Amino acid sequence: MKSKRIVVTLCLLLAAWSVFIPSQAQTPSDAIMMPARDACVLANYNYGQFDQYWEGDRLRGNLTIATVKRTTVLPMVAVGITDKLNLYAGVPYVKTLSTDPNGGKFAGAQGFQDLGLALKYEALKKEIAGGELSVLGTVGYSTPITNYLPDYMPYSLGFGAPEVALRGIAQYKMKGGLYFRAALAHLWRGYAKAERDYYYNNGSYYTSWMDVPNAWTAEGILGAWLLNYSLRIELSYSKLKSTSGDDIRAYNAPQPTNRVVMGQAGLMAQYYLPPAKKLGVLIYHNQALTGLNAPKIKNFGAGITYQFKFL
Amino acid sequence: MLLRKITTIFLLGGILLFVSCEKELPTFLEYQSYAFSENDEAGGTWKPILINSGSAITVEAPKSTSSSEYQAELADMKAAMGKITPQQQQEIFYWTSNPVTRWNEIALELIAKYNLIPGYNEDGTYTLPNPASPEGPPAFPFAHPPYASRALAYLSVAQFDGLVSAWHYKYTYKRAAPYQQDADIDYAYEKNTIPSYPSDGAVIAAVSREILSAMFPLEKAYLEKREAEHLQCLSLSGGNVASDVAAGVSLGKKISALALARAATDGMKNAQAPKAVSDSIKAAAFTRFGWQWDNLELPTRPVGLTPLFGKVKMWNVPNVLATRPKAPPALDSPEFLEDVRILKDYAAHVTTERRRIANFWQDGLGTYTPPGHWNRFARDFIVKYKMNPLRSARTFAYMNMAIMDGGISCWDAKYYYHYPRPIQMIKGFKTIAGTPNFPSYTSGHSVFSAAAAEVLAYIFPQEASLVRGWAEEAAISRVYGGIHWTFDATVGTEQGRDVARYTVNVAKADGADL
Repeated sequence: MKSKRIVVTLCLLLAAWSVFIPSQAQTPSDAIMMPARDACVLANYNYGQFDQYWEGDRLRGNLTIATVKRTTVLPMVAVGITDKLNLYAGVPYVKTLSTDPNGGKFAGAQGFQDLGLALKYEALKKEIAGGELSVLGTVGYSTPITNYLPDYMPYSLGFGAPEVALRGIAQYKMKGGLYFRAALAHLWRGYAKAERDYYYNNGSYYTSWMDVPNAWTAEGILGAWLLNYSLRIELSYSKLKSTSGDDIRAYNAPQPTNRVVMGQAGLMAQYYLPPAKKLGVLIYHNQALTGLNAPKIKNFGAGITYQFKFL
Repeated sequence: MLLRKITTIFLLGGILLFVSCEKELPTFLEYQSYAFSENDEAGGTWKPILINSGSAITVEAPKSTSSSEYQAELADMKAAMGKITPQQQQEIFYWTSNPVTRWNEIALELIAKYNLIPGYNEDGTYTLPNPASPEGPPAFPFAHPPYASRALAYLSVAQFDGLVSAWHYKYTYKRAAPYQQDADIDYAYEKNTIPSYPSDGAVIAAVSREILSAMFPLEKAYLEKREAEHLQCLSLSGGNVASDVAAGVSLGKKISALALARAATDGMKNAQAPKAVSDSIKAAAFTRFGWQWDNLELPTRPVGLTPLFGKVKMWNVPNVLATRPKAPPALDSPEFLEDVRILKDYAAHVTTERRRIANFWQDGLGTYTPPGHWNRFARDFIVKYKMNPLRSARTFAYMNMAIMDGGISCWDAKYYYHYPRPIQMIKGFKTIAGTPNFPSYTSGHSVFSAAAAEVLAYIFPQEASLVRGWAEEAAISRVYGGIHWTFDATVGTEQGRDVARYTVNVAKADGADL
């Protein structure tokens, strides 16, 4: 059953590397561990777009920006350090622009965004009531690696500040392959640096540093293994909520200090190609359904994973 | 300085990481109250702007300091000082003995708060802010750069005239400050020998509240609260007894009424012309030059920003035509084509430095605008050179008059020449700064900045080359942003310098340099 074990431990990084705009929660949140001395590489393509956003709690369109398109290419690697400790690293390349015609005539942006690093530790794995309960923790760190301008929303590549993410994950998997998973994370976010030294955030700020609010994320997943552990499908709902921040002002651009809330629903499928199941393909879709100061974005993505022994 | 982040990381069970962040960012200029570099005893003889002289408004003689009334006020003040709360202590520190800087910051904050361009309605129309129903939406005012320049000019001019009057009576009546009369009083700021009747702080508080309440009518309650806090601090600091404050408030109100009477008839209320007038201005330019600027927003805005701001009454320029620049290059001229090449090149090669400059000076929607940016610089120099309130108000007054005159001259050129923006002339052109809703030639940033820099260079000669350099950088920043031609910037800079000369000449003759 070695091959099955490999399948079960394949990297499922993608759905977890969920795409928020302009922020990206970059901590793997699945319950899968790779065995020691295994590595997995992922190449993922994400296309997101929105033509409406929440200005405070008001959903609106804005012909100044028309439809904003956001393309992300994410190369990522996961390494099994031990059977219980995995390391992840990835750097997204992001490109943004508005569709024509638009009233603003703003140039989009493109470039590498943030380096994301994460460690995942499996704290518990045991048989309970005929199923398997896993409890995991991840700690993630990300930081901008280029001088992209966070104060250029909605085209900025990211929120421009370092982030430390701490996440707890619990999963219960039934014998038939059905599983439920929940994850809760807190994101500590630092300061973004603007290229102006004055801005308004419910009052004057005489500095180029912008306080990016910390946030909580929570997600619930219903998933299943099918076709003798070759196909995995997931339904997910996730919510991100800033702990502070200001509202986007009327007909004004967002800024990194905004209080962001976003509820997103998603679908994902990953298929491991026979016979060796080293190669996997995945597709997914997710969509923002509720929000505050956030784009009502739809994302479509596809990726390829390849797993191999490196020692 | 205030930016501190304490990051504590510790590991729990080998893998738990915890970060705590302390986030503190500056919301005003924090400075220790300083000893004034001079008292300007003759300040009451300087020529004010709105009134003929410092004695034009009568301020009754105060009661003698030996009178029972004065002694009772002094006792009340001391009693209140004995019960200062920590909150009041903070407020006293905040206001300082030069509150001109604070009211200027309050003005900038309101500008930033109201500098929001009205968006379009569901049916594609635009609603303009209406002073008759300021709640909106959209709220009144839209504090765009011309509006900001005017609000700051009236604020600073009224402050200056109020303080010239105050200085006149201070040195007429020579009532010494409470802490000069009673050694038990521990003045909260650096002591000075400027007489305390009428209170200069109270003049500033009353003037600022009155002018800003007229300019930002939805902020009346907020401004009233700030004024009350400030007036209380004047007594709690040990600087003024009640009659000092009352006389200052009364004087401030009288000056404000004069300033607001001028504002009511300066032509600003007609500046946002109706569409028919706007269309005829555009047609006249097309007939004259063969070009016209068009708004390219979606939906199209029917009227540009304040087409008749160029007709608003100027402070120190007798006739706006005297400062109108030469015509810009024809759209088929080699000079114009060279600019197209430059703009395309900048857009294709956004360097770190050009991007930084474009953003640093952008001062766009939601900010304090370029006039506000220069007020911030002036504030910093005022503190650096330890100016007293009278000198501070004079600095702001002349700078803000020059800025507003610059804006009027610039808007005259904008709507007379009605020159198109780069996005209109270069197919598919994209910018990194927002293209404003008014014609290109000349650049507002360039004119505002050069006008401001010339006045600052006159008042702070040690900083002349610095501020002139800033003005040139502000001008070229608009070209880097992709929203102006190079000649908009260079001619605009010349125009701003030219306009400022009128103001500087008036300043040189007001008696302050003697």
